[in-house]
Amino acid sequence: MPGKLTSVWLLLAGLTSGGGPATVTAALICANGQAGCRVLSLAKLFDRVIQHSARMHSISDDLHSEFEQYFVPSRNHIGRVSRNCHTANLLTPDSKENAERIAREELTEVILKLLVAWRDPLWHFHQIAANFSSDKALEMSDMVRELRKGVEKVAHKMQTLGMISNSVSSPSSREDLPPSERGEWRLMKDHELLYCFRRDSDKIQNYLKILKCRIVPEHGC
Amino acid sequence: MDGWMLHWVQVSTSVMAAAASPSSGLLLFLLTSSPAWFPSPGSAFVTDWHHMTPSAPVEPHFTNCISRDQVTFSCWWTPGSFGNPSDPGALRVFYQKRVIDSPTKDEWKECPHYFHSRRECFFDRNHTTIWTTYCLQLRSRDNITYFNTDDCFTVENIVRPDPPVSLNWTCLNVSPSGQSYDVVVTWEPPPSADVAVGWMHIVYEVQYREMNSTNWEALEVQLQPQTQQTIYGLHVGKVYEVHIRCRMKAFTKFGDFSESVFIEVSKIPSKDSFSLLTLVIVLGVVAAVILIMWIVVSQQHRLMVILLPPVPAPKIKGVDSELLKKGKLNELNFILSGGGLLGSPMYSPEFYQDEPWVDFIEVDVKDPDTGEKQDDQASDTERLLGGSPHVRQRAGCSNALSDRLNIDDGALTSTLLPGQPDNKEACLCVDSERGERPPAPSGPQTWVNTDFYAQVSNVMPFGGVVLSPGQHLRTQESGPASNQSSKNEKKDGEEEEEKKQKELQFQLLVLEPDSESSTRQIIPPPYCSLPGESCRSIEPRPAEAYQSPYVSPDSPQAQLFAPVADYTVVQELDSQRSVLLDPPNLQSAQSCRLEQHPLKALPAMPVGYVTPDLQGALSP
Repeated sequence: MPGKLTSVWLLLAGLTSGGGPATVTAALICANGQAGCRVLSLAKLFDRVIQHSARMHSISDDLHSEFEQYFVPSRNHIGRVSRNCHTANLLTPDSKENAERIAREELTEVILKLLVAWRDPLWHFHQIAANFSSDKALEMSDMVRELRKGVEKVAHKMQTLGMISNSVSSPSSREDLPPSERGEWRLMKDHELLYCFRRDSDKIQNYLKILKCRIVPEHGC
Repeated sequence: MDGWMLHWVQVSTSVMAAAASPSSGLLLFLLTSSPAWFPSPGSAFVTDWHHMTPSAPVEPHFTNCISRDQVTFSCWWTPGSFGNPSDPGALRVFYQKRVIDSPTKDEWKECPHYFHSRRECFFDRNHTTIWTTYCLQLRSRDNITYFNTDDCFTVENIVRPDPPVSLNWTCLNVSPSGQSYDVVVTWEPPPSADVAVGWMHIVYEVQYREMNSTNWEALEVQLQPQTQQTIYGLHVGKVYEVHIRCRMKAFTKFGDFSESVFIEVSKIPSKDSFSLLTLVIVLGVVAAVILIMWIVVSQQHRLMVILLPPVPAPKIKGVDSELLKKGKLNELNFILSGGGLLGSPMYSPEFYQDEPWVDFIEVDVKDPDTGEKQDDQASDTERLLGGSPHVRQRAGCSNALSDRLNIDDGALTSTLLPGQPDNKEACLCVDSERGERPPAPSGPQTWVNTDFYAQVSNVMPFGGVVLSPGQHLRTQESGPASNQSSKNEKKDGEEEEEKKQKELQFQLLVLEPDSESSTRQIIPPPYCSLPGESCRSIEPRPAEAYQSPYVSPDSPQAQLFAPVADYTVVQELDSQRSVLLDPPNLQSAQSCRLEQHPLKALPAMPVGYVTPDLQGALSP
């Protein structure tokens, strides 16, 4: 799965390397004019990104479940979170209606913010969970990074296609985050971190689906 | 308590309808509600209370909180052992959207919508937020609060989708043995779940079992498009029960099962029709084979003629083919000689009657009784050997001999060699008139008495053929001719020698069967080589039995046949221009000379093949 996404992002990089208007130039992979190289449509890009986010969410759920077994089983995965998640300050649409109501640019920005916010904590978690499902932790960490790149490419393509305005910009550095969130994640325990990430990955997945439904209309949307 | 969930599902549906059209929906909901329902056993709220002893006091608590579409949710409570169950307003539900470490958001709000009959608190979409922590508490009128932090939850974790709808099955294929089959089960996602948008990602689980068993087989639907599942290995004749449920992906709580669908495949009739078809084909083939065999047997002979045409074999009409085999020539000759009345078609035995294709060899053997009538029916062989008697009569010698012999001369004259005007005198007609003429019937007999196959050694000038018989002599008696020959033999007194010499090669002269005249003897002058029997003059002696030194085909006279080599070397020509031969095997190489005779012109005309250049030399 990561390998496939890598090729996708390379293709996207090639597509956007022209840096021009809607005319699609040959991607880096297809520079040699190979047969079978074709430009992915926006819908296909969305599908791949959504697949990736779903996979990420399921991994986070698995990891959280593994952590849960070391504790007294709670009914609804509630009870042991003593503090809010470090991403609680982010204004995210908390219902389906809200997600359908806000602007597309805002939705895209929210997604990107979430992804950016979880890059460091997950990498840190992977470092400390060397003896406990390190492969899943590593995969989760990689996925967050690649998913962020993917969403950035999708955002860029949407901007080139004129679907959203050019005001979307992903936070590139940690300095863009509010000060309260810069290091708060270090205070969280592992299981809390996993709990929060599980929730946030579910958010990301649902936001992407609603965004796709709004951008690329399909039957039923 | 367990039935609550089941009924709650139905209620929620009507609640949704009630939200759309409040009056009618609410009425419908109230009418359809029934008190006997229990929450599902899988509910996390219930697990704690199952182990409580009934004697211990049970405080009011929430039994279940479920969201069906991740947009709204509901919670049910029970008063427990406290309070008065008949008082619906005794307990009130308060909820809180908990934000930890944030005191501003800890206010408790009351339930937005009560369903007191079901003890349900319903949260509509305006009051529902996802990914936020809800905490619920019960408060009595006494302001006693019953709250458990374990009852807090987030909505996405309590989602249990509705069961899928439109469950149906189709037969995929049948095993070759006809005993098991595969089935494809199809369904549609629950209408309440917004799968199209992707707000809910649902996975399904299909369960099936035989009718009388208690264990369900579970199949997790893995493949896309995830709304169909193949069940393999179902048995023909058994009834299966199938139902399906679903859950959110990456979450563990299943929704309710759908209604069961029953699958049954009875005995497959296609196999029977297949075997029936093969049976019909086999019978048809067998009938065709029998018909062909019957045709072959009934038309056997005709088919034999067509397929295996008969090889022509010699078949003579009236003669059994058995006689043609080796060693039976006596009978054949007997038949052919008229003993079997061969010439008469009415008397000839019918052979080969059943073989219409037989083509007979017609043998023209003259009937002795009708010999005169059949003058024109002389056989070819007879003609070859000297002509018919009638012809010979006509071709009789034109000289004095012929007068005596009453032989016509005509045709014979014409057949004489050219350049021989005096050939009339050179008539070789021999007066074989003897005292006793052999009976006419003996003519053909005498002719027939030769070997059936004889070598033609010479051709007479008048068309006669000189034969040389085979190795074996016929010693057939034939009446007076034999007597004559015996007399002649005695006269010669060289009977032994003659006999001896007759066994040697001898020259056979064929006489035409002459009904009137006696056997004529043709005298080839140069061939007279019999030692004892010198060549007599040809001068006919009318009264005497003319002994010809030359062999007559007549069997008794066969003894007198002069053994003459078939081929002799011409030694010289004498003064009379006769050819002197030198027979190799004879004791005496006496050449036979024709005595001087008025017919001396005769030797001038050698019998036998004379080349034209010799002819000139020989002619006087």
